[in-house]
Amino acid sequence: MTQAEREAILELLNSPQVTGPTRRALQERLDARFVREFFDETGFARLRAVATRLVPHDPAEIDLAGMVDHRLHAGSGDGWRYADAPPDGEAYRRLLRALPQAFETLAPEAQDAALQDVQSAHPRAFEDLLAELTEGFMAHPLTQYRFGYVGFADAQGWLHVGPGELEPWEEHHGPR
Amino acid sequence: MDRAERLPEDLDVLVIGTGAGGAPLLARLAAAGLKVAALEAGVRHPPEEIATDEVAQAGLFWMDERLSAGQDPVPFGRNNSGRGVGGSTLHYTAYTPRAQPDDLKLRTEFGVGEDWPLEFSELEPYYDELEYFLGVSGPAEYPWGPQRRRAYRHPPLPLNGAARLMQRACAEIGMRTSPAANAALSRSQEQPGYGTRHTCTNRGFCQAGCSVGAKASMDVTFLALAEAHGAQIVDGAQVTALTVQGGRMTGAEFLWNGQLHHLGARTVVLAAGAVETPRLLLLGGLANSSGQVGRNFMAHVGVQVWGQVEEDLRPYKGIPGGLISEDTHRLPGLVGGYLLQSLGVMPVTYATQYARGTLTWGPDLIEHLRGYTHVAGINVLGECLPYEHNFLELSDEPDARGLPKPRIHFSFGENEKKMTAHAEALMRDLWGRVGARDVWALPRAAHTLGTARMGHDPQTSVVDPFGRAHDLTGLWICDNSTFPSSLSVNPALTQMALSLRTADALTGDLKVRA
Ligand SMILES: Cc1cc2nc3c(=O)[nH]c(=O)nc-3n(C[C@H](O)[C@H](O)[C@H](O)COP(=O)(O)OP(=O)(O)OC[C@H]3O[C@@H](n4cnc5c(N)ncnc54)[C@H](O)[C@@H]3O)c2cc1C
Ligand code: SF4
Repeated sequence: MTQAEREAILELLNSPQVTGPTRRALQERLDARFVREFFDETGFARLRAVATRLVPHDPAEIDLAGMVDHRLHAGSGDGWRYADAPPDGEAYRRLLRALPQAFETLAPEAQDAALQDVQSAHPRAFEDLLAELTEGFMAHPLTQYRFGYVGFADAQGWLHVGPGELEPWEEHHGPR
Repeated sequence: MDRAERLPEDLDVLVIGTGAGGAPLLARLAAAGLKVAALEAGVRHPPEEIATDEVAQAGLFWMDERLSAGQDPVPFGRNNSGRGVGGSTLHYTAYTPRAQPDDLKLRTEFGVGEDWPLEFSELEPYYDELEYFLGVSGPAEYPWGPQRRRAYRHPPLPLNGAARLMQRACAEIGMRTSPAANAALSRSQEQPGYGTRHTCTNRGFCQAGCSVGAKASMDVTFLALAEAHGAQIVDGAQVTALTVQGGRMTGAEFLWNGQLHHLGARTVVLAAGAVETPRLLLLGGLANSSGQVGRNFMAHVGVQVWGQVEEDLRPYKGIPGGLISEDTHRLPGLVGGYLLQSLGVMPVTYATQYARGTLTWGPDLIEHLRGYTHVAGINVLGECLPYEHNFLELSDEPDARGLPKPRIHFSFGENEKKMTAHAEALMRDLWGRVGARDVWALPRAAHTLGTARMGHDPQTSVVDPFGRAHDLTGLWICDNSTFPSSLSVNPALTQMALSLRTADALTGDLKVRA
């Protein structure tokens, strides 16, 4: 995240355009960093490598693997799981174990081929992990900024809702 | 009272759950002068604490793990049910179409499915009352169903991008559309027991909770009224067992502030939703001489079609379901039919559905999500028949409280598959007409219905047409579990109508006994 991006995000978040509860949630997420707790070191390195192939991102900006690790450690879930799949943590561990030795150091094409294999061998875990990473990615203020999303500017509401009708602050948030 | 500090005593009626089934009834009984209280597993979520952010609002949902089985496993959590003072209405989209009279007579019309043990004319006065009380915004003339006796209280909400596109495309093929009925305010309204509810600010996050009180969730409508009439709502109180003595209900056991408590009452209304209600009954082995508890689980056909258009559409703006068509209410070759709705969508919901639905990953995923502000959605809501193979049971896997997790089996039958295919083809055609690119479809099932069905016959149903348990004195059920058939409309308004109807029957019974 460049300094300019960070400033632009904080400028809108700290402005009166955003209500308190929304601001607090997004500010906390903008800077969220997690300490590894659930996976061992090798498993975590592997998870991080998988995460950056599935949902390309810079882990220094958005800590998606850390987010997954943190969630599993906390034992929280999303309210359901496929009845034929083991609990999330175990399912993810199995998926990671099924990858070839030294997956982290393979060339990107070889990594993708290996991921395709585990996708067919562990379809449920693959889908769940992909969805979880996608959620973390899309919910991050940096992604939202880069995609020109400004729906969190909720304080005054939207007057123009038809196709192509933008409010001034909608037009101006996001990269030029 | 903001938070119940002392538990109520000597109750006439104890209600378990405060959603679309539990709340209207709680208010009605309290207004009738009865001593009533509700136990609610979730906590209060006042509008001023609601963030416009899906992840921050995850606490509105029922996150205890459920196991999804069958050919078409149903996702729960954020997709299917709520937890909080107001239940699933805290995150419902506020769509409030009425059922049509023939929805209640599926077996008579088609020879399959089930008839409801009641007539449309018995629901109609409640619909009239509810639409006014909730402050439904809707069109002056609604093109489908019987002539209305009372106009919608407020004019329709503004149509957002997807709604305008659907309007244009449907016009091309001669399909009628109308601004939808939404239980969200296009003008502010004074709400008895609550105060002023403000006009909808078009922030499009209904499924993550309404921060201005515009949406008619139960907390800002019936529950506020119930408390004004002296009802007590104990939040953060999860019922773990129903208690019975000598063939009659005596109350419920629940976890509250980390401890097990008991509340006694002469009558108990179970309104915990179509998963937790059968779960509690099965746990206690109660009200099940018919063997129907947990059976006939239904979830509406809910296939969605998505595409990206040239215009900057901003799918997070405006009431999500602004436009409707019921021209597909009956279709040749199908049992029942469906309605068509335009769709706004929040970013994380869209992104995760796209990932799960298409299994796209890598740079292609990012490229697609980059186009989020150009996404246009449309979906249907259609009849789902009750089947032997769709049911809820207790698994042998314990949850954090040591109670067995529920396992829900769900597979579409032939009718649902045909309906999904029909709807998908229609919506792809419509989205082709608006020039949408990257069109993709997500076959889906929505809402949880039918696991403790109502009927006249104690051999084939769990409760009678008013919600009294056939088998157990003092137990009533009032939530989506009692639906004998799914209806081809969204369930919340009909659920609230049933709730008021049950309350009127219950007060009648209590008077007779007194
Ligand atoms: C995302 C979403 C959007 C929706 N949109 C619409 C819409 O636009 N229109 C429409 O008509 N319908 C919609 N619905 C469906 C609608 O919300 C439900 O039909 C309706 O709320 C069901 O009412 P209920 O009383 O059966 O259950 P709920 O409203 O879910 O209420 C059940 C309550 O019981 C509580 N409870 C459960 N177990 C216990 C226990 N053991 N102890 C104490 N409390 C307990 C729960 O916490 C919850 O508060 C939507 C649903 C979802 C998930
Ligand atoms: S769109 Fe309107 S009704 Fe829905 S949450 Fe926003 S303000 Fe409330």
